[in-house]
Amino acid sequence: MEISQYSENALTIYMGDDIDENVNRQLVSLKQKIEAQEIRGIEEIVISYTSLIIYFDLFDADAEEIEKAVRNIDTDSLLEGGFEYRTVEIPVCYGGEFGPDIESFKENGLTADEVIDMHSGREYLVYMLGFMPGFPYLGGLDEKLHKARLDTPRMRIPAGTVGIGGEQTGMYPFESPGGWNLLGRTPVPLFDPGREEPILYRAGDRILYRPIDEQEYGEIARQAARGEYEVKIEMRSEG
Amino acid sequence: MVLKVKNPGLFTTVQDKGRSGHQAEGFSPAGAMDWRAYMLANLMLGNDGDSAVLEMTLHGASFEVLEDTVIATAGAEMPMHVNDRAVEIGTVVHVLKGETLAFGGASEGARTYLAAAGGFDIPGVLGSTSTHTRSGIGGMHGRTLQTGDRLKVHGGSVTETLLRVKNFENDALIRVIPGQQYDRFKENLDTFYESGYELTKDCDRMGFRLDGAVLEAAGGHDVLSEPTQLGSIQIPKDGKPIILLNDRQTAGGYARIATVALADIPKLVQKRQGDEIRFKEIDVREAAVLYKEEIDRVNAGFYFETDNNFSLHRRPLSEKIESIMKR
Repeated sequence: MEISQYSENALTIYMGDDIDENVNRQLVSLKQKIEAQEIRGIEEIVISYTSLIIYFDLFDADAEEIEKAVRNIDTDSLLEGGFEYRTVEIPVCYGGEFGPDIESFKENGLTADEVIDMHSGREYLVYMLGFMPGFPYLGGLDEKLHKARLDTPRMRIPAGTVGIGGEQTGMYPFESPGGWNLLGRTPVPLFDPGREEPILYRAGDRILYRPIDEQEYGEIARQAARGEYEVKIEMRSEG
Repeated sequence: MVLKVKNPGLFTTVQDKGRSGHQAEGFSPAGAMDWRAYMLANLMLGNDGDSAVLEMTLHGASFEVLEDTVIATAGAEMPMHVNDRAVEIGTVVHVLKGETLAFGGASEGARTYLAAAGGFDIPGVLGSTSTHTRSGIGGMHGRTLQTGDRLKVHGGSVTETLLRVKNFENDALIRVIPGQQYDRFKENLDTFYESGYELTKDCDRMGFRLDGAVLEAAGGHDVLSEPTQLGSIQIPKDGKPIILLNDRQTAGGYARIATVALADIPKLVQKRQGDEIRFKEIDVREAAVLYKEEIDRVNAGFYFETDNNFSLHRRPLSEKIESIMKR
């Protein structure tokens, strides 16, 4: 653990150097332990690949006190015992107009059905969010699905699109330009300010994509518009 | 409805203190860029510290006044008129139904804040009225103001009106704290601190791109994506600094040489294309003290002086007196 300060109202704690599931697990556990101490003046804790950053109110908290409290946490214990995580199920209608690039995986020797099976058949770890609100940096994509970004990025990718860019898979909560290979689209609003959790997942959660057909896409979209669709979120434990 | 937009100006948005507490979900804080001018505009009217204001950039907006209200301005110098009457930025003005309130092009500085009695009445998103145009949330439907937009204000009595905002410092010196990859630039520190940098045309609410001496990072310019801070100075491959500001992406993957001290953010964000800045290193603890002192100064009224132009502040009363005198 290495604690540094690069701005007046934030402390950064580094737990590793590389993208690593264990580092993520340590950071998630460290965040929970810091939050459990209810230190006065902490505004927010943000997890990234190798670090977490603690934002605090300069008038209400003291950087040295926060640092002392963090140093008191036994980092060796962060991976001890079992741990729990949430799996968030995102229904996706693959192919067709929603996923115009799914056929191009022929270049990788894969049919559209194989791409769907491989992409939806596993859980992806949410390492962090960023780039745009609710955009997850996901780990765990099958190597056979790695595919370089398009030479010419699209001007407009609709919100809810699921795709692959290089070694990463992810989804766009907002409409955006972008060069990703588009696989499909989810009818679930990835950002909904009226929902209890405006963004459905956070660092440390896992995403599971469930293939749906166009009919179910329509049904879920209608339910979501009425505020009646409930995203399936399961607690799972390991270790 | 109190104000109707006749001309939205170059880039006018609703802003408040910013959308804090949602960076873990990837939401930029947004918020008024010159936090000092924002605070002063609200303080002059006795508004709450997180009231919604309008941030006007380089060329201001014009409005039709639909109901009497009291407004206050602070920040960049812009010509300001109520009908044909010239008004100074940094004062409190009573505007009356049927009048036109108009702002022109900034003669000095880049951003002017327009506050109204009680604050603008705008629905919040995730606890803030601040507009983030890139994701289309907050403020007026997530976008800049457009002709025909109507704005409500909360209203209420105004506590102190005979105030005027003093001039701010506008020198080139910007103090910075060593950043995440400071060590990668050890060989370049003299260049960074001794040569000036110029604001390019690519300066907006997301960040300022600078031109000047190239900075090379030992060990490369790319890093694993990490949370960005207000004022993070990142150095991409071309070696030219980019200062990340309120509408920045919450994660970034370029090496960071330094972070602009919060106390100097107001000075920085009033700079414009072609202006030169120079960096000076300070310790993070010193920066924290400077910031707290500056906030205390703002709240203690250091930046206010008494304005004697009584007629503009209490228009209904003074206009009544004027009409009686004419009889």
